[in-house]
Amino acid sequence: MNTIFKQIRNLRLNINFQNKSISLFSPLRLKEINETQNKNELIISGHIVNSGREPYLLKNPHPTVCPVCASGLDIKHTDVLILSQFVRTDGCMLPRRTTGLCRRSQKRISTLVAMAQKSGLMPNLTPANSKKDPKKRYGWKKYNKYFDESTIKIR
Amino acid sequence: MSVLKRVQQWATFARIWHLYDAAWQNPFYSAELLKKYLMGAHKPIYHPMNDCGDHVIVINSSDIALPGDEWKKRVYFHHTGYPGGASWTLAWELHKKDPTLVLKKAVYNSMDGNLQRRYTMERLHIFPDANVPSNLLSNISNQIKQLRPKPKRLDEYTEKEIQEFPKLIDLPKNHILR
Repeated sequence: MNTIFKQIRNLRLNINFQNKSISLFSPLRLKEINETQNKNELIISGHIVNSGREPYLLKNPHPTVCPVCASGLDIKHTDVLILSQFVRTDGCMLPRRTTGLCRRSQKRISTLVAMAQKSGLMPNLTPANSKKDPKKRYGWKKYNKYFDESTIKIR
Repeated sequence: MSVLKRVQQWATFARIWHLYDAAWQNPFYSAELLKKYLMGAHKPIYHPMNDCGDHVIVINSSDIALPGDEWKKRVYFHHTGYPGGASWTLAWELHKKDPTLVLKKAVYNSMDGNLQRRYTMERLHIFPDANVPSNLLSNISNQIKQLRPKPKRLDEYTEKEIQEFPKLIDLPKNHILR
């Protein structure tokens, strides 16, 4: 039994290695990668999925301006419904080539995301190994804190 | 004195009980607010010699919020009076020891140091959570508005609310979901 598991693990490592070396997936315009394990074979399949955002997308009245600047919103670090649109499932900020924001907005939004994470307002968008509940954090970090957006320094 | 005037007299000088929810509030800004109610400074009949202060019940004092990294920057000083008896306690350490003390000290320090201060503090009732004895709770007739709204966490929204919230950006076609 143990040897079978080892073989499977080796197989997976090999496939991952191949995957990286020839980069099968990112140039093929994929949205989601699924891995299914059947006894001795590992099936990696990718397919295009909808982001689910199309019906709720705000229309940008000034297409030359970035979406955040064009919306004219004064976004605070407590607006988690807006900030969660700019992060991955592990709470990490999406790069500028993905978000399509201007340099200033990208900087400001990433600072706001960091503030929201530190305040524990997005506990479900965190790395897998983190303690989801902010009350379980170490020392002074477990207590409630808020931030002043005027302290964000952007040129 | 007519019956109406007598009732007006009682109503004017009766002590009112206020409720204040300290969850996600800055204790130092809250102290400036609560002090007015405790001293009676919000009343037109206020005078320092006039004992017209109200009672304030503060709940959820363990959930107060400080800005930025003030939990580890603010220091409370105490000296026993003996040589080497000085001690410095960080705000979060004091809060860990007693979750009502940061707010209590904030209200105490916001008031002038006169003979009335100790008696005014007697009218402040702080509770670390929402469990208030029912004999105090039955007195309450007013709620003080919070200074800043309590922020709602992302996991407190439903799946539908998050999905149907207006979106600023769409993910590009070549983005790989993770």
